[in-house]
Amino acid sequence: MAAAVTIAAPALPSRHSSSCSLPPLTHRSLSFVAFTSPTITKLSSHRSPRRFPSAPSTSAFSIKAAAAAADKKRVLVVNANSGGHAVIGFYFAQQLLSSGHEVTVLTVGDESSDKMKKPPFTRFSELVSAGGKTVWGNPAQVGDIVGTAKFDVVLDNNGKDLDTVKPVADWAKSAGVEQFLYISSAGIYKPLDEIPHVEGDLVKDDASHVSVEKYMAGLSFSSWAVFRPQYMIGSGNNKDCEEWFFDRIVRDRPVPIPGSGMQLTNISHVRDLSSMLSLAVENSAAANGKIFNCVSDRAVTFDGLAKLCARAAGRELKIIHYDPKAVGIDAKKAFPFRNMHFYAEPRAAKEILGWTGTTNLPEDLKERFDEYVKISRDKKPMQFDIDDKILESLKVAVTV
Amino acid sequence: MARLVAMQPRQASPWASSSSPLLPSSLSEFNGAALSISLQKRRRTWQPKGALQVTASSAKKILIMGGTRFIGVFLSRLLVKEGHQVTLFTRGKAPITQQLPGESDQDYEDFKSKILHLKGDRKDFEFVKTSLAAEGFDVIYDINGREAVEVEPILDALPKLEQFIYCSSAGVYLKSDLLPHFETDAVDPKSRHKGKLETESLLDSRGVNWTSIRPVYIYGPLNYNPVEEWFFHRLKAGRPIPVPNSGVQITQLGHVKDLARAFVTVLGNSKASKQVYNISGSKYVTFDGLARACAKAAGFPEPEIVHFNPKEFDFGKKKAFPFRDQHFFASIEKAQRELGWAPEFGLVEGLADSYNLDFGRGTFRKPADFTTDDMILGKSLVLQS
Repeated sequence: MAAAVTIAAPALPSRHSSSCSLPPLTHRSLSFVAFTSPTITKLSSHRSPRRFPSAPSTSAFSIKAAAAAADKKRVLVVNANSGGHAVIGFYFAQQLLSSGHEVTVLTVGDESSDKMKKPPFTRFSELVSAGGKTVWGNPAQVGDIVGTAKFDVVLDNNGKDLDTVKPVADWAKSAGVEQFLYISSAGIYKPLDEIPHVEGDLVKDDASHVSVEKYMAGLSFSSWAVFRPQYMIGSGNNKDCEEWFFDRIVRDRPVPIPGSGMQLTNISHVRDLSSMLSLAVENSAAANGKIFNCVSDRAVTFDGLAKLCARAAGRELKIIHYDPKAVGIDAKKAFPFRNMHFYAEPRAAKEILGWTGTTNLPEDLKERFDEYVKISRDKKPMQFDIDDKILESLKVAVTV
Repeated sequence: MARLVAMQPRQASPWASSSSPLLPSSLSEFNGAALSISLQKRRRTWQPKGALQVTASSAKKILIMGGTRFIGVFLSRLLVKEGHQVTLFTRGKAPITQQLPGESDQDYEDFKSKILHLKGDRKDFEFVKTSLAAEGFDVIYDINGREAVEVEPILDALPKLEQFIYCSSAGVYLKSDLLPHFETDAVDPKSRHKGKLETESLLDSRGVNWTSIRPVYIYGPLNYNPVEEWFFHRLKAGRPIPVPNSGVQITQLGHVKDLARAFVTVLGNSKASKQVYNISGSKYVTFDGLARACAKAAGFPEPEIVHFNPKEFDFGKKKAFPFRDQHFFASIEKAQRELGWAPEFGLVEGLADSYNLDFGRGTFRKPADFTTDDMILGKSLVLQS
């Protein structure tokens, strides 16, 4: 079961030897090549020999990429036009393209829609430069949109329910697609006293993603797999994650955190998700019929994440804990993560795909903060109405 | 009856006792046949076949430092059953052997006839050195060592030692906001367990073939640390369970029998040379969840949980709760991946094993002491009125 191109380097001994140490450069330079140097890998439509990126010094990369060429896949990504998962399709497409696969991204809606003015859509030109195709439309008409184009693999990174995914899955089956992959959600796991959520654990009966998973399983694709993500950080993210913390920290505002602040969550760099998806494509037999928690392999507490964000920003941190019920606000609107332990581990991916995680929050958040400042979001005027309501009810002064 | 899925088919377990009903690990179940089949296949691949078979030529002369209280009781039995010659080094204060609840007379007599005893105080370094040198052991299991100095005479005595297997502790990890702890994580040179760390360093510096096992919280029958026993006392007395702060703190329990099997798995295993392994249960649990799991395992109704702020009390030297008041859990995937070991006991099932073979039979190590509970409950009653 040789993994083809894996952007993640093998787990290095001192990856987490201290919370602020720099990771060895190897995996970072590889990831930069894959995601920020698209001009190097230009694929012509006539499939002339590829030029390999010159930056990485490890020969393993080019050997693996050559292997990938032999198993070149034609991949269709059906991608949501907004939301926390939107960025997954973008990274996945980039990674596939740099491995030499053919990629078409079908984004829901219109190319001219306002939604396309937000990342990752603002970076779709990178996919095109790398030889990918980007199209828009209604996934229910996917067959009409792609016409006679043939695909080996389809990833649905859009639908949350059967109504939305069924037309795509049905079309894929009838069009002879070999591998069908679906981005579901770790949110469907039933919260239990024992942690983490592990593949195979009980899911909520009424979760709409579950009906999709079951339906796919029954379609007899040569290979099918389900991926259940949590929260992501990474350039090109459509939905705020760490930004919520940075917004408050750079403005010297207290960070209001519901409950004890000890709730666990899983914040993954999106490159971990795309590497997992890529491994599933390149090991379709091993991945067949499997559920994968599509997450990093570390939990962080709410308080811990706030601390790491403050450290990345080089600023002071003040955390205020509050009880949403007592204050009379909806925690869902007041805080970016579910107000409970919500932690899944990527055990299946490690065991079945030989996947390794590279998310390194202390380092990744530094990069995220640099970009946060680069786009001047730290200077953007902002309102904190809900925060103010919380602080008022707790009688906390905010010095401006 | 709930389906017994997600569980490894049991190999002939030396502990199988007809009087311990297996409670299904009902907190983890499958949805959908396709998914359960694939997961069962996955589970089976974790365990190499015949992992515990030993031929006569590979029988070792083994010394266990300790071995009469908890881990060693189970470990020594496994080793003896495998045909090794096992000696226990203890001061002889506790009986060298005791029949385990559920253990047949035959099995006990067999074990008792084979186990050997070396009587001495391990703090008497001269005696340790001379007696061990005189005997010449192939393998040392150090189950009760706390300080590096205690290990030096052992290493001095046995220059041809094949393997030194050490029971360390996950308590050596530096507290972190990023969990679980992996073996590669930073350790805390100032922790309460720094003696364990210093021992690991000593072993490494002496060039001996060592393996270190880091358990988290150990539980199971004969536990002398009041972990599950603490909950059982309260459940039996029909008392509420006082839990500090939010009760969402996450901890991790590992069954002593799974730990013993891990200790056996590393014996003579070249992969384990100079390696550290976290050994514990497969899942973690909140404090509140653990209270509920103990009740479920022992057949008590769901307990009332009372949360308290430890800062509001002065408990003196008494502990108001058996776990450190923080998240504390470690990943066992290195052991699973490299050794093919996997825990057999789920949490509720393991607690049931402990209850059925120990507390449920009327045995325990520490009698119930509800002093701190009453302080907490007294105050909470005042606040409510």
